[in-house]
Amino acid sequence: MEENEKKLSKVGIVSCSGEDLPEGSISRLATLEVLHHKKLFDTTTICLPLYIAGGEGDRMFAKNHPTITVDGCEKLCAKKATEKYSGKVAHSINVRDFIKSPDDVKNKSNLNEDKKRITSEVADAISIKVDEILKENNK
Amino acid sequence: MDNKKVIVIPCSGIGKPIGTVSREVAYEIMRLKPDTAETVCLAALTSGDEESIKKIKDNYVITLDGCAKHCAQKNTQAYGKEPDKNYMILKFAAQNPDKKPEGIIDIGKGGRELVKTISEKIVSDIDEIKQNEKK
Ligand code: SF4
Ligand code: SF4
Repeated sequence: MEENEKKLSKVGIVSCSGEDLPEGSISRLATLEVLHHKKLFDTTTICLPLYIAGGEGDRMFAKNHPTITVDGCEKLCAKKATEKYSGKVAHSINVRDFIKSPDDVKNKSNLNEDKKRITSEVADAISIKVDEILKENNK
Repeated sequence: MDNKKVIVIPCSGIGKPIGTVSREVAYEIMRLKPDTAETVCLAALTSGDEESIKKIKDNYVITLDGCAKHCAQKNTQAYGKEPDKNYMILKFAAQNPDKKPEGIIDIGKGGRELVKTISEKIVSDIDEIKQNEKK
């Protein structure tokens, strides 16, 4: 990647959006919070299953953007899939690192107060990393 | 009697309200068919997770795709499993212009009505799959 390109690049955020675990919903909602509110102009994303279903352009994602993956659990599917098909990730976040009690995440779809708190903490952690990466790239 | 589950896999496309609709349809189907319907994380298929691949191979699979990229269907086919049914959520949306999803995070009243309509249709197809199993 050319130096100028690297400096202009938005940070990619790839969420696992895991459907089978409540933490997957948190990864998705925290990612959306960053993409649509906290870092609207500095970030971009891709539908992760496009690594298999899409074309070469989709698989260039992590090469074109310094990428943060956001995973719901230790399986780290977004990180693994990104590194398998696209490129090395700049940073990886696991939602479980933000969960203090299993009671915080009871169902898959709806957000209770604890899930909202965790979502907000994960979104903050992603945003901090976005700033760090942009600062580093623009040195 | 064969007692396979029906694994419902939505694409959960992150950039569009229709992706959220696919996801909520999967949850609604699991709510309506708690003994039959389950899901797997689609990203786990993309990353090659053995447990998830085994689960789709051992059971019936229904894929729900937001758009013509057909991510859920293609990620399933990538492991040699042809979905028993594939639905394109965008088509349902086009057929129900009065039930319009609003945002990605909150699909709104129209989106929730669309979820209900699609889920009812798919549940009847699940009943058919299970009915044929008994024959
Ligand atoms: S990281 Fe965990 S929650 Fe996310 S897709 Fe993989 S198995 Fe599901
Ligand atoms: S089918 Fe379309 S909306 Fe769904 S994940 Fe793929 S590209 Fe995204």
